[in-house]
Amino acid sequence: MIHVTNLTKRYAGRTAVDSISFDVGRGEIVGFLGPNGAGKSTTLRMLTCYLSATEGKAKVAGHDIFRDSINVRRRVGYMPENVPLYSDMRVQEYLRFRARLKGMKYRESRSATNEAMDICGLADVQRKMIATLSKGYKQRVGLADALVNKPELLILDEPTNGLDPNQIRQVRELIRHLGERHTILISTHILHEVEMTCGRVIIIDHGKIRASDTPQALVRRLRAAGKVSLQVKGNPQLVLEEIEQMAGVKTVRHVDTRQEWALIEIRTVANTEICEALYELAVKKNWVLRELVQHRASLEDAFVDLTLAGKTTPNGKGENE
Amino acid sequence: MRAFWIIFCKELRSFFLSPLAYVLMALFTGIAGFLFARTVESMQQKIMPRSLIFNLVGSGFFWMGFLILFPLITMRLFAEERKMGTLEGLFTAPVRTSEVVLGKFFATVVLYCVLILPMFLFFPIFKLVTGQSEAFHNGAFWGAFIGLMLVGTFNISIGVFASSVTQNQLIAAMLTFVGVMMHYMLGFLLYINALPESQWTAGLNYFSTIEHISTLSEGLIDTRPFVYYLSFSAVLLALTHHVLEYRKWKA
Repeated sequence: MIHVTNLTKRYAGRTAVDSISFDVGRGEIVGFLGPNGAGKSTTLRMLTCYLSATEGKAKVAGHDIFRDSINVRRRVGYMPENVPLYSDMRVQEYLRFRARLKGMKYRESRSATNEAMDICGLADVQRKMIATLSKGYKQRVGLADALVNKPELLILDEPTNGLDPNQIRQVRELIRHLGERHTILISTHILHEVEMTCGRVIIIDHGKIRASDTPQALVRRLRAAGKVSLQVKGNPQLVLEEIEQMAGVKTVRHVDTRQEWALIEIRTVANTEICEALYELAVKKNWVLRELVQHRASLEDAFVDLTLAGKTTPNGKGENE
Repeated sequence: MRAFWIIFCKELRSFFLSPLAYVLMALFTGIAGFLFARTVESMQQKIMPRSLIFNLVGSGFFWMGFLILFPLITMRLFAEERKMGTLEGLFTAPVRTSEVVLGKFFATVVLYCVLILPMFLFFPIFKLVTGQSEAFHNGAFWGAFIGLMLVGTFNISIGVFASSVTQNQLIAAMLTFVGVMMHYMLGFLLYINALPESQWTAGLNYFSTIEHISTLSEGLIDTRPFVYYLSFSAVLLALTHHVLEYRKWKA
């Protein structure tokens, strides 16, 4: 559905998107994840033909984004960041206008508008001015706008931005529901969202793709290189030295001392179990141990790992498949 | 072409569903009505060589009120969309930039026609009420109408262009006002002999709105103003098109 090769966007003195390549297959829900300013919106804007690429190529729904932009735009439903809408129009009026603008016939546009309003739960506000709607409703109008002409592909830029937890849940439900019929590419910096809705995650940072995999696989990969923390009574310096000697330890760090308890964090090499060895070490050295935890990695860890420390971890080099 | 009509209708709707159109119509009709009454009065006092229409549309006061219309009707066209971010939604829909520019432009031209229509009703009503058939002849009437349409089209395209370069409506309005005012003044200064005569000022005659209007409102339909105003409008609209496309390439 989307086929991107070496797409690059350079602004004066700054490369926003740096030669990225990825594919999105028909029927997939793909999360585009990255910190603010990573180049997510720029990429989506290039895919929707709002901006032109400096270099590289992309095909959306079989059409080249540069040569055949009208045909691309006809097949893509796009919801921009912050959902800009004409605030002086009524919901129904706006959606009809958008449906017509996207090439639907008058009669078609009416039924399509009703359908989109049904899907997004807008029936009871259809006669309201958009300016008077709450943020959650505006977001849903934006979503209804994106899907009103039944596009093959939905591109949603931070669809849950600025919503309260209940609304986020509703929108997430909606997206999952839409995923049954459309291919969806959503960008977000909220990890939870991706974990809940997406079949695949593309993590992007500084304009480069850091990883592309299922959320579960990303987490698994990270858990393999696990994290252990312990609280121990004693001289932290000595403890650190001892632990550093152990097999399978990558880094050790003294995080904090609370009263006399030293909090120590250990990162281990992939696929090693060191808790038992740690316990034995503590017994041998007569350390008083209060806590010994093997952390379960979350997508959040993967994200932090890939986008912050990503340049140093071997995991960070995930190429797209 | 399809998108052109949809945008054209949408713009017209939003003009006439907001109070702006009615406020402007009242304002402009009021100013024009006041000046019309003054012109009639002064024509009663002494014999004037030119027609009622010429005396009205040729006066500097009329142009003050007239030129103020353009910034007000064009300032929001693109500046507002840029500010609100709706430009993104507009250009990610399957529409051509030219369709958007022309749709908005022609919608504004139609609004402009509606705004000046009441003023042109003054003249037939005046004839009907007073029976003064010699106050003006039909040529003057249609000539003045065509003249104001041409100047209006040109000024609107200045406004469309100004609105596309900024996201601040106030700046768009100022640019438009300065643009239309400077263009008008260029000819006006010449007309009142405020500029020294030279080979340079002779060329300025071609830009002189007041010169064009004087000729047209005497009933003399010259084709030069047609070419001048329409071609410059086309150039300004093409520039607007480029400004809007430029966002794609901005580095």
